[in-house]
Amino acid sequence: MTGVYVVGAALRPAGRHYGENIDDMAAEVLGKALADAGVDIEALFVASSTTELVNRQQILGAYILESLGIDKIPAFRVECGDGSGGAAVTAAYYALASGEYGCVAVVGVDKPNDVLSNQQVDVYAAVMDTYFERYFGFTPLSHAALMAKMYLKRHGYKYEDLAAWAVLMHERGAENPYAYFRRRVKLEDVLSSEYTSEPLRLYDVAPLVDGAAAAVLCRDRRDGPRIMSVAVATNAVPFNMRSEYDTLYSLREAAARAYKAAGISPRDVAAAEVHDSLSIFGVLAVEGLGLAERGGALAALKRGGLRVNMSGGLKARGNALGATGVYQLVEVAWQLVGREFKRADGRYGVVHSMGGVDRTSAVIVVGL
Amino acid sequence: MRHESVPMYWRNIPQYYRLVAKRCRQCGAVYFPPALRCRCGSAELEDYDELPHEGRLVEYTVLYQVGTDFLKQKPLIVGLVELNGGVRAVGQIVDAQPDRLAPGTRVELVFRRVAVDGRHGLIMYGYKFRPVQP
Amino acid sequence: MTRVGVVGWGVYIPRYRIRTEEVARLWGDDPQRIADVYLVNEKSVEALDEDAVTIAVEAARIALRRAGVSRERVGAVYVGTESKPYAVKPIASILIDALGLRNDILAVDMEFACKAGGDGLAAIAGLVEAGRVEYGIAVGVDTSQGEPGEHLDYSASSGGAALVVGRDGVAAELEAMYAYASDTPDFWRRDGSPYPMHGEGFTGEPAYFRHIIEAVRGLVSKYGYKPADFTYAVFHQPNGRFPLRVASALGIPMDRVKPGIVVTHIGNTYNASALIGFARVLEMAKPGDRILLVTYGSGAGSDAFVFRVTDVITERQRAPAPAVEHMLRNKVYVDYAQYLKMRKMIKLLE
Ligand SMILES: [Zn+2]
Repeated sequence: MTGVYVVGAALRPAGRHYGENIDDMAAEVLGKALADAGVDIEALFVASSTTELVNRQQILGAYILESLGIDKIPAFRVECGDGSGGAAVTAAYYALASGEYGCVAVVGVDKPNDVLSNQQVDVYAAVMDTYFERYFGFTPLSHAALMAKMYLKRHGYKYEDLAAWAVLMHERGAENPYAYFRRRVKLEDVLSSEYTSEPLRLYDVAPLVDGAAAAVLCRDRRDGPRIMSVAVATNAVPFNMRSEYDTLYSLREAAARAYKAAGISPRDVAAAEVHDSLSIFGVLAVEGLGLAERGGALAALKRGGLRVNMSGGLKARGNALGATGVYQLVEVAWQLVGREFKRADGRYGVVHSMGGVDRTSAVIVVGL
Repeated sequence: MRHESVPMYWRNIPQYYRLVAKRCRQCGAVYFPPALRCRCGSAELEDYDELPHEGRLVEYTVLYQVGTDFLKQKPLIVGLVELNGGVRAVGQIVDAQPDRLAPGTRVELVFRRVAVDGRHGLIMYGYKFRPVQP
Repeated sequence: MTRVGVVGWGVYIPRYRIRTEEVARLWGDDPQRIADVYLVNEKSVEALDEDAVTIAVEAARIALRRAGVSRERVGAVYVGTESKPYAVKPIASILIDALGLRNDILAVDMEFACKAGGDGLAAIAGLVEAGRVEYGIAVGVDTSQGEPGEHLDYSASSGGAALVVGRDGVAAELEAMYAYASDTPDFWRRDGSPYPMHGEGFTGEPAYFRHIIEAVRGLVSKYGYKPADFTYAVFHQPNGRFPLRVASALGIPMDRVKPGIVVTHIGNTYNASALIGFARVLEMAKPGDRILLVTYGSGAGSDAFVFRVTDVITERQRAPAPAVEHMLRNKVYVDYAQYLKMRKMIKLLE
């Protein structure tokens, strides 16, 4: 049976990397991943959300390869907003599964701190419907706030219940050497932070960070965790026409397909990284992956039984936009084998990478 | 945004100015923003000019982190509105005090400046909503 | 078919108000003296995202709704303003697409200080009488400019009024019209200047009073009216005193002028000033009433119109469209800092 394996990887600590160009930052982490894998690659998949908007650079793959002196191989760019990483891993997986290539690399990179904070809002708002949402001032944050209000109301929670998400993420981030925030916070810190889009506060918003992550994937080389399945689904319903606002439709669809293809159920999941660019999305992702029942994620969080985002999630590791999904894949793979992270208590892990406000979700199941 | 594309604004004027939607000739479903094909499978969609101007607030938020177009207008109140007849739209809620808004608040459509391209560029208009009672 | 006249009207006044005492507080004036001099208690202020275009759209939407005229039948749009957001780019064309009117119609922006809105009414009446258009919409609108701390800071305000003019379904027939103009430089704003200059007292006798009185006297003598013929008289309202004084000079009793005075509550909306007063009077008029409407524009000129109210008026008064009273009542007060921000008088990049 054909299998796709994560044979090497490298992460760049998330942060404000003012001193590096985007291609060099990606090349550096890709070079480390290649050294880690000890193989040559036949193709490169680049995940980036904002390389044009922030850095005015296209064909990023060619410039990354230029820095490493790797000639002649194809380089593809995959863009699905802040969900680019998961989508690029999926594309790489299919390229390997098709039999065309034996080894490829995925590198995710974005440098949002190359622009001012209010320009970051403009850049991130490009994942919204540019004509009917971005134009009027909507951002992922504003939509998340609307969804949070409706979710909390519908399932009988208070904001304090949601605030626990950030506390947990900071606790986890403190243990992750690659995280942007490596300090614990108290519930009172979250509750006393300023509103960003009420009811959401500063701590509900993952910081946009410069980041780069790379993974080398090979077909039929059993020296690393295996990608059991990949699935991507989009939500074709505009936000204003959605029938439910307390769930991630694209994730539910992708998760069902990915679990089925991998032959596992949510109960088998020992490591999970979900896209908590906004706290409410993390909560909804936990439910979408079946790790808690519908409306039950915050109750599970309160009980202390949530084993997701050992990296600290986007909240603490940072939201590296297009690079995020690649970070997540590497984090889950490393958690399964106990590298850099505490070893997960089980054989399977899952990644949720989301673009926009439930516009597209990729789910990747990783196993030993 | 600085130097917003003029054609990008201009071609959406029917939607921005007066909520021109699409309605399926077969099943009557209404699409805003306009769609090319109905969920029922029909590709026969006609212009629905225009959606009702009154409705009720479904949910709203006060947004403090805004893009460059809205720096001088923050915080923005934005929300999801259900227009009479059931079609929903998202939009800014203006002329409003947040603590006097709630789901169900009656709102009406207003025509407002949305974004301005710097000191010399185009003024872009569009719909917003405001509570019927201040 | 009746005579040409007003089929429907619509007024839009922004929700925000600033009190005269708040303005006086900033500039060290005695608020009571200011209120006594100008008879302005408060004035309307447009929101940061409002301008002459948005106000014109709102007023015209209300007017069309009240008139019950389908938008395909509108053949002309005239907008009179001295607050164009663009020096070059029409408001009337934006109105066409915002109202969903036909595109094969006449769309015109006009400027004659505060008189252009009423001039649109005259122009459309002519087009309708000539049979060239079925209906037209005349809009008078301004986000009036006034230099902070200067006299005009107490009165320059924002609002708009729109009249649907036609022959079918007329609520107030246009009986007579008379115009008077001369080169009288009482108030002006140079191209590129943010605020107008004016001659203080010179805006009175040689300007406002002379032109209005000549227009009304001309009208009365040409068409044989007596002051007592007018149930209501509505004048341009730069402040609360001028319309009362001019009425008294013309022998028109105060109780016929006061119903049309809105400046006390909203300030001077320039091109909308007389038209908002006219709309307010239409909302209380009875069939058979005769209304004198007199506009005034600096520089200077005055148009006098006489309308005869028809039986249709009651239906129009009951139409499902916001009334002037509603606009006057629905208000939120702002302080001087908010006022400066909303009027973009602190340097904003937007
Ligand atoms: Zn259909």
